[in-house]
Amino acid sequence: MFRQMLYTQWKWSRLLIVAGALAGFSIPLLSVRPLGDPTVAGYAIGMVLSTVGAYGLLYPLLAGGAGLMLALATWGPDHAGRHVYALTLPLPRWHYALLRFGAGAVLLSGVVAGVLLGTLVAVASVELPPGLRAYPFALTLRFALAAFVAYGAFFAVTAGTNRTAGFILAAIAGLVLAQVMVSAAGSDVGFLVHVVARLFLWPGPLEIFTGRWMLIDV
Amino acid sequence: MSNAIEIRDLEYRAGKTFEVRDLAVNVPTGAMYGFLGPNGAGKTTTIRLILGLLRPVRGRITVLGSEIPREAARMLARTGYVPEAPHLYPSLSVDECLRYHAAFYPTWDWKWADELLGHFRLDRTRRFVTLSKGEKGKLMMLQALAQRPELLVLDEPTDGLDPVVRRDVITAVLDYVAQHNATVLISSHLVHELERICDWVGVMDNGRLVAELPMHAFKSGIKRLRVGGAPALPGDTPFVLLAREPGDGAFETWIVRGWQSPMTQYFDGVGATVREVIDLDLEEGFVELLRTFRGPARAS
Repeated sequence: MFRQMLYTQWKWSRLLIVAGALAGFSIPLLSVRPLGDPTVAGYAIGMVLSTVGAYGLLYPLLAGGAGLMLALATWGPDHAGRHVYALTLPLPRWHYALLRFGAGAVLLSGVVAGVLLGTLVAVASVELPPGLRAYPFALTLRFALAAFVAYGAFFAVTAGTNRTAGFILAAIAGLVLAQVMVSAAGSDVGFLVHVVARLFLWPGPLEIFTGRWMLIDV
Repeated sequence: MSNAIEIRDLEYRAGKTFEVRDLAVNVPTGAMYGFLGPNGAGKTTTIRLILGLLRPVRGRITVLGSEIPREAARMLARTGYVPEAPHLYPSLSVDECLRYHAAFYPTWDWKWADELLGHFRLDRTRRFVTLSKGEKGKLMMLQALAQRPELLVLDEPTDGLDPVVRRDVITAVLDYVAQHNATVLISSHLVHELERICDWVGVMDNGRLVAELPMHAFKSGIKRLRVGGAPALPGDTPFVLLAREPGDGAFETWIVRGWQSPMTQYFDGVGATVREVIDLDLEEGFVELLRTFRGPARAS
């Protein structure tokens, strides 16, 4: 049962997985390019770290994007048929959702594998100056966690009806609008900043997306 | 006789404009039950309630001994369903659709599925999205049959299909029922189609069950009478007067239910005569039944 579900999900999201894996493979390679330049001397280490750090921004974006797109692709065909076929299969709804989630998670690991392979190849292809160290496994693990957090969150949202998604978007839009109006009224109250901080700063659930994503660091 | 499907006091609301009210349905085990009704009568809603896709506000549904929606998964393992709008996953081929579907049903019969593929002339390699409406309908029917169900729930399975495909689909269902004594609930507004194949009929309109009876009783019970010298007020009739229409000259047309030959005595008693008794076919009976249900009988 799970094998068939995995296969069907692969059929309709394979382009997405391949594109994500390629992107995940390419980012580390691009980020270490300055180190392959023989003219870069030891004094330019700061510039190297700056380049690696700049490319590091792409990892959380890729993790979030891959999680979102895969979650959409996971439920898309069922949404198109208004879930009638899925709901008439002989298994409880929680079991069906679990199978769908599991299959999507397995497919998402393809993107994670792309990142792992990319970081390993990137690290192997350059000679690190003294004082710098590579963190391919730590970076990949962090990417995997971020991708699965994003996938889990978007999976839950997209599993619902359009109305559910609409409520969530409306709540976010309402929050932003309220902040704009409060600010326009000349108040210093910045509750949106607090909400974002609660989400993205430790121990917020999205903290994993923030901070520095460095393949090479001191 | 036990019932494969039993519905009691069912109530369901869809928005503010439509509701299913006080619905009671009994589909006997082994019956071929035709579920008739005009578009928007509530047939598809009732079928979705039976399958556990929707949750009723009130009432009780039992299908193959399972309480719905609580035990829907157990019931669905023994039920084949063909929806009104055929939908499977567009990017899958016919073969992949079958493999996916088969994975959920331990009773799946590959040998028969292969036979039906040939019978329905379906190409295994074609993707679902490229199939015509008729081919999609046949694939859905194939899936429902090859899982060897005890109950088949068919929601307008032949709607929009050409006569050849329609015959293929109906023949496959009849063959299956003949071999396995399965129960079939088939909804349609194509009255003539059900008249040929069903032994029970339920008529639904505006979210309520108008009538439920064996097909022979339905067909033989509704008559058109040509009445001469009809009384202005019919009084206490031994039959149900559904409609009364002025005819040519001295004769009127009466549509009645529950007619039996000895009832001509009633007309003798009121000084009228019955010139002709005409059997109505299912479609005419169906129309008259709905006319009566929707408005007061024009009986006086």
